[in-house]
Amino acid sequence: MSEFDVIVVGAGPAGSSAAIKMASQGLKVLLVERGDPVGSKNVSGGILWGNDLAAIIPDWEKSAPLERYVERKVTSFLTGDSEIAIDFKTKKFQEKKTGYSVLRTRLDSFLARKAAQAGAMVVTGVTVDSLAMKDGRVIGVVNEGETITADCVILAEGPNPRVAMAAGLVGKPNDRTVGIGVKHVYKLGENVINERFNLRGNAGFAGEYVLSFLEGDVYAGGFLYTNKDTVSMGVVINMATLRKNGNTHSFDIMEKFAQHPFISSLVEGGQLQEYSAHFVYEGGYEDMPRAYGNGYMLVGDTAGFSFSNGMILQGMNYAISSGILAGEAAIEARKDNDFSAESLSRYQKKLDNSPAVLDKKNFQGISNVVWSPMVHRAIPALLESSLYSMLYESGKPKKHLSQIMMKSLKSSGMNSKDLMVQGYRLMRRM
Amino acid sequence: MVKQVPDSQEVVIDPVTMNLNRSLTRNVTNRADENALEAALQIKDRTDAHVTVVSMGPPQAETTMIECLARGADRAILASDRFFGGADTYPTGLTLAATIKAIGKFDIIFAGEETSDSSTGHVGPGVAEFLGIDQITYASKVEYKDGFVTAERELEDGTEVVKVPTPVLVTVLLNSNVPRRQTLRRKIDAIRQGFESWDHDKVGLQPEWVGVRGSPTIVRKMRPIKEKERAAKKVDIAGIPDLVKELYQKGVIKVESD
Ligand SMILES: Cc1cc2nc3c(=O)[nH]c(=O)nc-3n(C[C@H](O)[C@H](O)[C@H](O)COP(=O)(O)OP(=O)(O)OC[C@H]3O[C@@H](n4cnc5c(N)ncnc54)[C@H](O)[C@@H]3O)c2cc1C
Ligand SMILES: Cc1cc2nc3c(=O)[nH]c(=O)nc-3n(C[C@H](O)[C@H](O)[C@H](O)COP(=O)(O)OP(=O)(O)OC[C@H]3O[C@@H](n4cnc5c(N)ncnc54)[C@H](O)[C@@H]3O)c2cc1C
Repeated sequence: MSEFDVIVVGAGPAGSSAAIKMASQGLKVLLVERGDPVGSKNVSGGILWGNDLAAIIPDWEKSAPLERYVERKVTSFLTGDSEIAIDFKTKKFQEKKTGYSVLRTRLDSFLARKAAQAGAMVVTGVTVDSLAMKDGRVIGVVNEGETITADCVILAEGPNPRVAMAAGLVGKPNDRTVGIGVKHVYKLGENVINERFNLRGNAGFAGEYVLSFLEGDVYAGGFLYTNKDTVSMGVVINMATLRKNGNTHSFDIMEKFAQHPFISSLVEGGQLQEYSAHFVYEGGYEDMPRAYGNGYMLVGDTAGFSFSNGMILQGMNYAISSGILAGEAAIEARKDNDFSAESLSRYQKKLDNSPAVLDKKNFQGISNVVWSPMVHRAIPALLESSLYSMLYESGKPKKHLSQIMMKSLKSSGMNSKDLMVQGYRLMRRM
Repeated sequence: MVKQVPDSQEVVIDPVTMNLNRSLTRNVTNRADENALEAALQIKDRTDAHVTVVSMGPPQAETTMIECLARGADRAILASDRFFGGADTYPTGLTLAATIKAIGKFDIIFAGEETSDSSTGHVGPGVAEFLGIDQITYASKVEYKDGFVTAERELEDGTEVVKVPTPVLVTVLLNSNVPRRQTLRRKIDAIRQGFESWDHDKVGLQPEWVGVRGSPTIVRKMRPIKEKERAAKKVDIAGIPDLVKELYQKGVIKVESD
């Protein structure tokens, strides 16, 4: 007899969601987290999109530690001294929320507490070293040479899953599958935030930026989110292009983003409260490992569910939904008393019909298009010079837009055929 | 004896109540107390002694209790009662001494040299006095054999070796040993075993003897100390007069004449 029905490794959103689901249905669950307290290892801050938590915490919008709901969403290109942005604000989000800013230290400890309340045993401050295997199946986890047994292990280690990698369940991260994320949290005070971002009450701002002004061919995206009285800001850097420019450092890029004239005015005077760097999972559909096997399942970033490409950064929502589905699969497997790969393949079936997998499938290859010279250099340059020429009163007769654009295109260094091809690809992938 | 303390370097003082605001920061086990527990566990390793952890504190000290069990303690008792709140070192020592007395027979009491939050170093010696036993303070090494504790004390001008018969209280120096890690196995067992929570009745003390009512000290005023600005500068000999002038103008140095 195993000591636990299921051991969950990692109390991020994926692991805790799985634990809540299973423990509330009476399974004997052990949730192990190396951080103490829970959340202390995680990059704090981000937007939790969607309504996935409702399935396990019906009153989550009241009880979870949410900072502000997204009312204003900005997608923006930053050049050296300009910003070209789509600034979408709608009061519609007041009725139906699309996303909330959260601080991970708080959210993660809230979710782990919910797991404990549901009946899971939560152990913090301990790292799982490896999986315990017997006759080709997972039978538990190992820590300091001792095995704790379970019928099933759910690996929710995040984007750098050492245990899953050591067992050969997922590939090693490579330049295509991970990026580097750097995040700072600045304290500004509630009133200052409301004023600078034109917000009221608990409405919030979420901005994503293409940093086209970076030297060399380094591609990076920036983000800026408002919390109650702090802002989270950070960059996600494309690993391959960073490596090619050996002397660029992630913290320099962060610095340059923070010093951009139209960003620095937003965060000026802020008091740095936290900073951290972390992997961001960026792999596509083709990189996803098989998410189950004899006695184990993979969830969240470990299973490759997050979505990041320098313009979109979503992972918590998929982490939660995949965790819940793995939890459901474990509950059914417990009823059948069968945790073999065949039995756990029901998890894959659930995933195949879920947004976690469908989004990945439908947006296959978007990464290559978004991390491209077109998005990171040509479009911003084109937009900037066109708008500048159109709006600047030179005292001379005005030119047609097409003439201006052709001229701008020339100066951006991209030929029109490449742009057409890439533009078409982008439209198809979006 | 083990106390839970705030981890953060910054101490937040509540401007209204003049109390340290302990809910804002992460709580950890006082580091010297981890060394005290380790010293006890090392004796347990050799003699198969029974180690009980005692703490006075609010319910959130639970995590410290579990942690001590997970490192190898056999039993954990948290003296926790709203009447214990706001204690200065006197009722803290009294409450711990009463708790230890209520447990029964003991040979050695280990305490940390001092805490990182209030750092008075009073509580260990206080407990020894309340119990009327000998004490060895600032010990870096502790051995037990045949009813005697032999300890090395780090003093300013050398190391003193003392040998004292039990029962005795020993306060242990910070960083004097390497506390063993908690393992998953032991942590699971610790959670299953659980700790005991004792109120003032169980400890055997009247409400008016403990906590804020039992505290002879009254805090008048507490204020955070502003750290002085510091700077380092390299100058050659020719630059010294200018430096002196600068320091004088900034008011860092003064000229006095008699
Ligand atoms: C800078 C940055 C910004 C982001 N912004 C957003 C955003 O705005 N919105 C969004 O939806 N997503 C965002 N993401 C992505 C999101 O953070 C992840 O997709 C999400 O956290 C994945 O959840 P998870 O539970 O799979 O893994 P994680 O959150 O990484 O949690 C894994 C947990 O497992 C623990 N762990 C790992 N190994 C072990 C072990 N061996 N033993 C014990 N414990 C272990 C870790 O300590 C950690 O707590 C961002 C990521 C980064 C880096
Ligand atoms: C004048 C004065 C006023 C104070 N007023 C307040 C107040 O209003 N509110 C407030 O919260 N605090 C107050 N304190 C702090 C409080 O008195 C101390 O936190 C407490 O008495 C323990 O003293 P210490 O931290 O200095 O321990 P030390 O004497 O430095 O501790 C030495 C060792 O004794 C043991 N020990 C100490 N405390 C405990 C404990 N609680 N449980 C188990 N073992 C322990 C540990 O092994 C520790 O390493 C005050 C302190 C002083 C000096």
